[in-house]
Order: sequence, then structure tokens, then C-alpha cells
Amino acid sequence: MTGLRRALGLVAIEGIVVGLVALAIILSSDHVDGKALSAALTLFVGWSWIGVGLYAWWRRPDNRFGVLMTAVGFAFFLMALTAADARWLFTVGVILSSVYAAVFVHMLLSYPDGRIGSPAIRRLVAAGYTLSVLGPLPTLMFADIEEKGCENCPVPTIFVADDGTAFTILNTLTTLSAVVVVGYVLYIVIQRWQDAAQAQRRAMAPVMWSGVCLLVLLAGSLTSEAVDGPDVVYNVTSLLALIFFALTPYGFLFGLLRSRVVQAGAVTELLHRMGEGSDRSGLREMLSTALGDRSLQVVYWLEDKRRWVDAAGRPTSLPGDDDPARAVTRVEREGRAVGAIVHDRALCEDPELVRSVAAATGLSIENERLQAQLRARVEELRASRARIVEAGTAERRRLERNLHDGAQQRLVALSLTMRLAQSKLHQDPDTAAKLLGGAQEELTRALEELRELARGIHPAVLSDRGLAPALEALAGRSPVPVELAGTPRERLPPAVEAAAYFVVAEALTNVVKYAKASQARVQVSRSNGHAIVEVADDGCGGADPDRGSGLRGLADRISALDGTLELRSPEGAGTLLRAEIPV
Amino acid sequence: MACTILIVDDHPSFRASARVVLESDGFDVVGEAADGASAIQECCRLRPQVVLLDVQLPDIDGFDVCEQITAHVEHPVVIMTSSRDSSDFGPLVSTSGACGFVPKAELSGERVQELISA
Repeated sequence: MTGLRRALGLVAIEGIVVGLVALAIILSSDHVDGKALSAALTLFVGWSWIGVGLYAWWRRPDNRFGVLMTAVGFAFFLMALTAADARWLFTVGVILSSVYAAVFVHMLLSYPDGRIGSPAIRRLVAAGYTLSVLGPLPTLMFADIEEKGCENCPVPTIFVADDGTAFTILNTLTTLSAVVVVGYVLYIVIQRWQDAAQAQRRAMAPVMWSGVCLLVLLAGSLTSEAVDGPDVVYNVTSLLALIFFALTPYGFLFGLLRSRVVQAGAVTELLHRMGEGSDRSGLREMLSTALGDRSLQVVYWLEDKRRWVDAAGRPTSLPGDDDPARAVTRVEREGRAVGAIVHDRALCEDPELVRSVAAATGLSIENERLQAQLRARVEELRASRARIVEAGTAERRRLERNLHDGAQQRLVALSLTMRLAQSKLHQDPDTAAKLLGGAQEELTRALEELRELARGIHPAVLSDRGLAPALEALAGRSPVPVELAGTPRERLPPAVEAAAYFVVAEALTNVVKYAKASQARVQVSRSNGHAIVEVADDGCGGADPDRGSGLRGLADRISALDGTLELRSPEGAGTLLRAEIPV
Repeated sequence: MACTILIVDDHPSFRASARVVLESDGFDVVGEAADGASAIQECCRLRPQVVLLDVQLPDIDGFDVCEQITAHVEHPVVIMTSSRDSSDFGPLVSTSGACGFVPKAELSGERVQELISA
């Protein structure tokens, strides 16, 4: 900020120096009538623009509008060169004497943010600059300037001949072009006014209306010049134009100051109402009143979830930078994001107002954020609890189905075979022996299926011997080679051991089913009061966390223990499933 | 002449065991079906005297299959079977049009004969 101040200070000094140089040139001129008045007017207009421009530049450093206003002031001082007595300086002065009008048009077209949007507008601005320089050339090259009312003026260095026809043709051409450009600019400015929202119009008014008046007068004077009307029209309109031109920066200054006054009032009112203490719906209401935006919304940032939520804790998203209607002002406390105000884009005209209001409500927003965080957590717990119940029911269904289709069917078949064997025992002992052999095989398979099922419900080795032997057994049964890189020596709480075991079991199942991996690595460690479970593979990656219910169920199981589950699976670079469970 | 019977069950192991048991007890197993739709089809095609029908089929529920089979005027005798107990199904067996229920583990020609004669 101090850097900006120093730079602006330097520009101000330059402005003063340039003004004084202009003053010296005018006062020492041989061909200017009413030197004192002329010098006073020039200084007043030039310094007004530079002064107000610098103020705007300082208040809104990221807006180039202030820069352009300052530039208008400097360009205006160029006109003083027409008072120079040296032929070349006088010539340059006349050529550059209208540049200020082009800078003004540039400024008007780039209102309010100081930037030019479309290429068409850019071409219009370029045409303005070109015409401002070309405009005086016919007079300088083909006219007797003493005849044109400039008595005692030096002969321009680019004077060719006193050629009435050439002058008339060229001058009519440039003047008509200028009229077209000015007309087009007017059209665009009025169109913008019509498109603007109420809040925007209030902010635009001073600049736009003084700009429009100035353009109308400029068009009038140019037309009268082109049609070679009486000089008095030309002089009256140009004097009026000059007055408007001198007053324009003050109009803008008025707009700026008014917004500060309104802003101070709004913030005071807001602080007062907050002090009275109001209910929760009040914060949005208060902000909406203070900023005059009925559509305003307040959203909160949850750092742990890295997402935005509304007051009810529901996830929400912010409008993008390119959203034509909505804009975002972020609210921070002690350097941390706590929330954001989503408001009408028109309020961007007055960023300080939104910022001061945001700063004033920082603490309330922080409180609201904590509430929203709590609501989000409750909502999440509710959903996760429902999923756990659902998963429990689904699991029981699966168990019943597995028991029915597996072991039970085998035992039924076994029963029938035994009955048959019994009936054949005496008449046909050979068939009976064959049937008993088959029964034996069937019994072995039934036992195997029951073992597998029991292990899926809860592995006995885990409760009896702990995580390490259980994981070794799991690794041993996996068709993909598994490296067991480490497990804690001591026993962990049963719920944590079970969660860790099922994370590894689910991960290894997925490795076998989807990963196309050549090997997997399992590690369970303790760090900072957490059990860290990691299963990595060298497979194809690209795992979708929403695929199937397995991972979702695991995430619920882990979150019931206040832990977190994270899946990293970049395409083509393996998969890492990592759980952190507080111990 | 031996009594003809169609076995309907989605477990091949049970169909195989049931066929051995019933054939050794003098029944003529004329066909097998693995789901409800093919059970109804085979019933029309083979016209068995008895259908041994599992309750839990992959497509249509066994009781619904039974209702469809017994809706015809000349319909076979249907005997429901399951690895579950008949008490698991409440009144469903009697209301479905089946003539009786035999638990899978107790299946024998004798039991089937008893139910048909009853």
C-alpha cells in the first residue's frame, strides 16, 4: 500500500510540474488572447482531472478507471502546447490538442472497471485516438490559420499550401468521421445505461450523464464546424463543453464520496442491529438490508470437509467468476476463510461497502459457521447411521442367502444320500459304500463353506490372536501376492482391530477383482494417537469410490469410530486405500 | 405303471439327489426345471402326474408357480419342498393349491406317496 502511495505521490508531483510548464507556455505566448483566463481554465481542468483521478486510483487500486481519469488530465495539458511560439512545438501541440477527448471517450467506454470488454469497443477506442490526431491535420496542412482565427500564430511546420478545396474535402471527411464515432459512443453509453440494474445506475449516474452531455456538445460543435455554421455556435458550444468537462471529475468525486457516506451509514446500522442481538435468520436479513440486495446469501466454509455449506449445513457451491448475475465476497477471520457473501454482481461497483460489511459481520459469520458445521455433521451422522442400519439389514440378508444356498443345500443333499445309503446297506453294500464316499466329500465342502462364512462375519483369529496373525492369514489366502510391511506389536481396541481388518479385507478383495495388480502392500502403524491402515497396489488405478457398497460401508464403519477413509487412485498409477482411526 | 414326476429346484445338487432318491423308490422322473418359468413350460409339455416344487426360485416365487399350474382343470398334484421348515411359510402352502409340503432333508418316495394318497 505504501508503495502505491509513493507512486501516486510521484504522479501527483509530475502533474503539478506539467501544469506549471503549461502555465509558463501559455503566459509566455505571443498569440493567445486572455492569457490569464486561458491559463487559469487550463490549470483548473487539468489539475481537477489529475487530482480526482489519483483519488479514485488510490481508493480502487485494482480498477483502472482512476488511471484513465489521471491520463485525461495529463492529456488536457498537451493542449497548452498550442500556445507555444516555436513552430514545431506549436504544430505538435495542435496535433495533440484533441487527444484528451479520445482518452475521455476511452474512459467512458471502459466504465466502471477500467477495462474494455469486446473487440468492437476496442476498435472504437482506437478510432477515437486516430481521429483525435488526424482531425487537426487538414487545417495545419492546407489552411491559412490566421484566417481560421489564430492571429499571430506561427506557420505550422507541416504547412503545404493554402488550398481551399483540399482543406474542405479533408476537413469534412475527418469531421464527419468524428461525428460518427461520437454518435456511436453515445449509442453504446445509453444502451449500457438501459441494461444496468438500479444499484448500478446509481453508481454510474455522475460519470455517465456528464459524459453524455459532453458528447452531445462535442457532436454539436463538430457538426456546426462541418457544416461551417456561424462561429458563435461553435464558440458557445465549445465553452459549454469545457465547463461540463471541468465539472465531470467532480461529479465522479461526488459519487465516490456519496458511496462512502452510504457505506458508513449501512455499517453503523448493521453493527447497531447486531449489538441488539437477533436470531439466526437475522444475519442474512441484516446483511441483505445493509447491502440493499434481497437475493443475498451467506455461505460458510468447512475447513475439514473443504466445502461450502449453507446455514442448514447442506453442501452448496459458489457462483463462478464468469457468472453474469452473482458475485462472491469472501469473509476471513485471522487469515482463515470462514464464509462468503453471495450477492448481486452490481455490488461489485462498491467493493469497499461489501468488504466493510463483511468485516463487521466476521464474528457473527464465524459463529454461524460453527453452527452450520454442527448441522452438517449432524446431517452426515444421520445419513451414515441410516446407511449403517441398511448395511446391517443387507448383511443379514446376504448371510441368510449364503447359508441357504451353500451349507444348507449341501446338508440337505447329504441327508438324502445318507437315507439312500441306509436303504441300500443290506441288499447292495457296494452302492451304499459309494454313496457314503460321496456324502463324505459333500460334508467336507459344507464345512469349508461354513468356515468361510464364519470368517466373513468375524474372523476368530482376529479376536483370539490379534491383528497381525489375522492379516497374515488374509494375505496368505489372497491370490495376488501381498507384502505385510508392518503391524503394531500391541493389541488395539477390538472395534479398531476389526475396522482395520475389514479395510484390508475389502481392499484386497478389490485388488483381486479390479486392479489387475501384480502385488499389494499392507501396512498398519500407529501415529499421533491414530491407527493408520494403508493398502497399496501396483495395478491400473482409476478406482471409483462410489463403486459398489463395499467402500461406502467401510467409510461408514470408519466414520462411526471418528476416523477417515481416503482413496487415492490416479489412472494407471495404482491404488492406495488409507484409513486413519483414532485409538 | 410308475408315477411320473417333475423336479423343480434351482440347485442342481438337490435335483440330482432327489432324482436318485425318487427313482430308487419307484418314481419315474420325467424332467427337471431350474426356475418358475421353465417349470410352467415343462409342466405343459411333459404333463407329469406330480410336481415337486421348491419354494424359493430365482424368478417367480414357488407359491405363484403352484397357483398357475393348479389353475388348469387337469392339473398335476403339486408338492412343495424347501430346505426351510413348513412353519416358516405359515398358511401359504395350504392356500397355494399344493397338496402338501415335504422338507428337502426328509424327501423320500414314501412321503410323496403318502401326500398324493391323502
